Amino acid sequence: MAAKAGGPMQKGVGKLPDRALFLFSLLIYAFLYAPILVLMFFSFNSSKSTQSWTGFSTEWYRALLTDQTIHDAFRTSMIVGVTATLIATAIGTLTALALTRHNFRGQTFADSTIYAATVMPEIVVGVSLLVFFVAVFLPLGVELGIVTIVIAHVAFTVSFVTIVVRARLAGMDESLEEAAQDLGAGPVTTFVRVTLPLILPGVMAGALLAFTLSFDDFVITFFVSGVGSSTLPLKIYSMIKFGVTPVINALSTVVLVVTMILIFGGSRLLSRREGA
Amino acid sequence: MKERPTAQKPREGDQDSRREVAVALTGITKRFGEFAVVDDLNLEIWEGEFFSLLGPSGCGKTTTLRMIAGFENPTEGVISVAGEPVRGVPPYRRPVNTVFQSYAIFPHLNVFDNVAFGLRRARVPKDEIQRRVVEACEMVQLTGFEKRRSAQLSGGQQQRVALARALINRPKVLLLDEPLGALDLKLRKELQLELRNLQHEVGITFVYVTHDQEEALTMSDRIAVMNEGKVQQIADPSTLYELPKNHFVANFIGQINLFSGELESVDGGRVTLRSGEGIKIEALVRNGDTPEIGEQVQAAVRPEKIRFGETGENVCSVGVRQIVYLGVSTQYITEFADGTRLVLYQQNAHDSVGPEVGEQVNVSWDANHCLILGG
Ligand SMILES: Nc1ncnc2c1ncn2[C@@H]1O[C@H](COP(=O)(O)OP(=O)(O)OP(=O)(O)O)[C@@H](O)[C@H]1O
Ligand SMILES: [Mg+2]
Repeated sequence: MAAKAGGPMQKGVGKLPDRALFLFSLLIYAFLYAPILVLMFFSFNSSKSTQSWTGFSTEWYRALLTDQTIHDAFRTSMIVGVTATLIATAIGTLTALALTRHNFRGQTFADSTIYAATVMPEIVVGVSLLVFFVAVFLPLGVELGIVTIVIAHVAFTVSFVTIVVRARLAGMDESLEEAAQDLGAGPVTTFVRVTLPLILPGVMAGALLAFTLSFDDFVITFFVSGVGSSTLPLKIYSMIKFGVTPVINALSTVVLVVTMILIFGGSRLLSRREGA
Repeated sequence: MKERPTAQKPREGDQDSRREVAVALTGITKRFGEFAVVDDLNLEIWEGEFFSLLGPSGCGKTTTLRMIAGFENPTEGVISVAGEPVRGVPPYRRPVNTVFQSYAIFPHLNVFDNVAFGLRRARVPKDEIQRRVVEACEMVQLTGFEKRRSAQLSGGQQQRVALARALINRPKVLLLDEPLGALDLKLRKELQLELRNLQHEVGITFVYVTHDQEEALTMSDRIAVMNEGKVQQIADPSTLYELPKNHFVANFIGQINLFSGELESVDGGRVTLRSGEGIKIEALVRNGDTPEIGEQVQAAVRPEKIRFGETGENVCSVGVRQIVYLGVSTQYITEFADGTRLVLYQQNAHDSVGPEVGEQVNVSWDANHCLILGG
């Protein structure tokens, strides 16, 4: 009875803040997405202006398709993204396994460095990688270019993959792996038949996250790309030096849509329940 | 009153020596850091036996089972399965299978693939797998559930999958860690009988872990009672109940009334003690124990062995404090003059009227039902 009496009271108290909260969230969303919507809006503008609307057209998207340098940048971005993702996912998954399934000296330290790596300022990562590549790779004959970009992307995405896969592993019943062993599966079979299928949503989500981060990255890539290779973000940056054109709007929209699809897919995978 | 390990062997020794030993644990100690979770454990589990490890939470039952399965290595001692020492043999090469407490059904596989998992690892031909899985599902009454995932199964059904998945491999020994712990009472009772029948059918040695004394008593051929990593007594259920070796076993298995006192006379297996309540009690001594006059001992008597009246060797007067109706029987909680409790059960077989609360009555029991406990 006492609990029931408290119910409507609490609801009454909650009413006003609820409405205020709704308005507040609306403002936040507007603040976050209005610039992006404006950008997308003007990417369909028929005139060269990015300020006044003159009519609908897909002209700038067609311009994207015909510009060879944009094609090259897109290809570089894809090659870098896919390669870095594959490597980072493999390394990140194994790291996560090592951190959750084994006890070793310095585990807590290893653990915290993984987290620290995700909040490391990009500028620091970029500069340090550049210094490293120049000091170590150049003498070996490896020029700054697509190879160093891939290595840099692996380096900064691997900790994200590790964290995502780790979360999945932590939620997994360890006795499942023991059950597999108990039923005659050796370590490799256990991993392939039981562990991997169960953490696969986490691995996929980690991979998507890695690809998104790689595809979007500007700062680190800027430092390690050298002269020949340019990824999409670098290309946009170089284009903007000659003023904002609707082509940039169109290109940014494409990058944005790709990123959104990947993020959405990733969060869908992560929220998928075990075995569902 | 220290006993040699041989005293743990039940009396019907000549019959048992013909049976093969399925699992032998010799001098097993397991330490996590400084703490001995299992302490100098010696067990021989016979082939085809339903053997239970019984003890309170944290006494090392799971750890013992995990050592047999190969998930933990003993700090000291030797484990043999089917006569072969298994030190260093990984779990996937041991001829044992486990039913986990959490069942550990693979959530990404359906019932069929769960049950077939072990056979596939052993590279059994496809048509034989098909046949044996169908058989195994039939055995645990899961026919028709082959396509389901674990999320679509009830607790009892998951338990059956776990059982079928383990038994289909025809292990030498099946290890079960509180397999019924997560189920409700009614289902648990049903599955207890089913499990027991199944074990008879397949003839595989079962090592069964439980903290439920009733479960252990109803299902097992023999039980090892454990406490704080040590075996207290190994015996068949009735010996365990009627002839508990010590205070812990007597208390853990069923209810018991204890009298502490000094031995006044010893006559072979028959002794007399003067209890703290001032009562003279005649009691029996376990085979092999040799108490001496003047020694401080405990005599134990089960509540259902005590009756109203003066028809036994031990008679005393108590006041009735509380009466609890239990259906099959009635529990009387009574007190001596000094406040010590004595509990007795009376069958509700006849419509005889028992004493009322507050009445002072005489109760009695036979010396044959009163046992001197070891330390
Ligand atoms: N890996 C481990 N590291 C340290 N201590 C452990 C470990 N595993 C078990 N223990 C400790 O060993 C003791 C016995 O554990 P065990 O799981 O064998 O108990 P149990 O008899 O199965 O109890 P329950 O009935 O609660 O399952 C406990 O005190 C537990 O905390
Ligand atoms: Mg346990």
